[in-house]
Amino acid sequence: MSAGGPGGEAVSAETANQVDAKGIGVGLIGIYIAAIAADAGIPYLIFLAGIGAVFATKMGADAVRRVCSYGIGTGVPSIGMLALGMGLISAMFGLAFGAMIGVSYVGPIVGLVVALVIGFVVGTLANKIIKLNIPVMERCLMEIAGAGVLVMTGLSVMIAGSMDFVVISEKVIVTGYIAPVFILGALGILHPFNASLGPDETQDRTLVHAYSVGAIAMVIAGVCSIAVIDPIAGIISTVVGLAIWYVTFMGFVKLVKRDAGAGYVGTGLLPPGAM
Amino acid sequence: MTDVTIVGMLMGNLPSIIGIIIGGLCIAVGVHFVPVGGAPAAMAQATGIGTGTVQLAAGSGLTGLLAAGYMYMTLSAAGTPGITEIVLICATGAVGAMIMISVTMLVGNWVYIYGVGVPPASAKKDYDPITGDSQAPYVAAGTVGQGLPTVCFVCGTIGGFLGGLGGSLIYCMLMWVNGDPAISSIFAIGVFLVNAVLPSYNIQGTIEGFHDPKFKRVPKAILACFIASLLYGIIAVTIPGIAMLTGGS
Repeated sequence: MSAGGPGGEAVSAETANQVDAKGIGVGLIGIYIAAIAADAGIPYLIFLAGIGAVFATKMGADAVRRVCSYGIGTGVPSIGMLALGMGLISAMFGLAFGAMIGVSYVGPIVGLVVALVIGFVVGTLANKIIKLNIPVMERCLMEIAGAGVLVMTGLSVMIAGSMDFVVISEKVIVTGYIAPVFILGALGILHPFNASLGPDETQDRTLVHAYSVGAIAMVIAGVCSIAVIDPIAGIISTVVGLAIWYVTFMGFVKLVKRDAGAGYVGTGLLPPGAM
Repeated sequence: MTDVTIVGMLMGNLPSIIGIIIGGLCIAVGVHFVPVGGAPAAMAQATGIGTGTVQLAAGSGLTGLLAAGYMYMTLSAAGTPGITEIVLICATGAVGAMIMISVTMLVGNWVYIYGVGVPPASAKKDYDPITGDSQAPYVAAGTVGQGLPTVCFVCGTIGGFLGGLGGSLIYCMLMWVNGDPAISSIFAIGVFLVNAVLPSYNIQGTIEGFHDPKFKRVPKAILACFIASLLYGIIAVTIPGIAMLTGGS
């Protein structure tokens, strides 16, 4: 069990490699299927980019969980902001690079690679120069930056219905939808551990919470896309997001009840075990 | 376009990269001035504003960016802004951030004084370095100070100045490169956040101002943020605006 204060390595049922593989794999596949289908004239599959973003959110939340269980002294939200700060720059660079060379499909992969490089550099700076001395810092910041890119790209592709930098910048950045994408993406990465931390934190509960916050981001992106691209596609994304949110949030409530040491009652009174 | 033009953009935009680095360093130093108390301060058990560095830095930085953006829009009506205009824009951004952080500290102090009922005092010094007022008798037992004494208020204002200046400078430099307000501002926010979080690790979450012993760690943050800003500067100047991509004006 990981403590909120300076502690050791977090206990994990699902290893970091498994979470990363699912996050990057599902994230990229979802974004690519959505963008390719939308370019082929079928915008109804754009919700897959949102599902990719949900899995990337979970990867970021797991990395936050591992790095923050060491106690970073600044509060968990700072690392979520760092994630999207790094992710934003890398995602925009990746998409713009794709536009410059004329092959927009390389965007997310270039963005991911740039994010991993930036995450490694920032993690090394934090460990070697600022001397935080957290052994998993470099790896976790790489994962967090990667998750930031996939969340930003996934939600942007979902709203704009395209992977083209010009389209994304007209439909997502100039319209201002980038602001909810930015802050909801950051919340999905930072909030699960921030809400669940403590001596009785468990990995499955934190990660189910990450799915549910990611699904909220997907719902909001779906609502944004109703006005931008095809309304039916936007409504499909919103409904799929709501369904994912309902299932994962109910799962979260179930795990909260499982982990409640003293039992629970629905009345707000103290449970029998606490007295 | 090919890779050759990316190299060309890097060489052609060297002043912008230098500007982004200077802006990043301003933000890094500015974070060390802002009196951040974190959770203990929220319970009036430590000196400073009761929230995290990133929230404060982001709040003042974004206010500064809004002010700078408005000034940029007004001044650029006559043509592409030169050095004089950029000085004015950065000053506007700095004043915007100073107003935001000062209002936060003022209202925070009202809450501490009239709501919680504690006198602002710092436990880091026996006498306030600016007013010379005695501090130790006013520090409640078991705490490390509370509220925002004069020295913290002045430091916070300096921090807001540097943060707003840095953020606006980055924004102006990006506008020079891509000429697109939306891309420039969202990028400036990204660079701003990274340059605010790295120094906040340096101070481990809380600091009171230049009289705090942790302020001596500034050089480490400057070195870290120099490298990070250099990397960001190089990435940021290779991103063209929409106008360049679509072949418009």
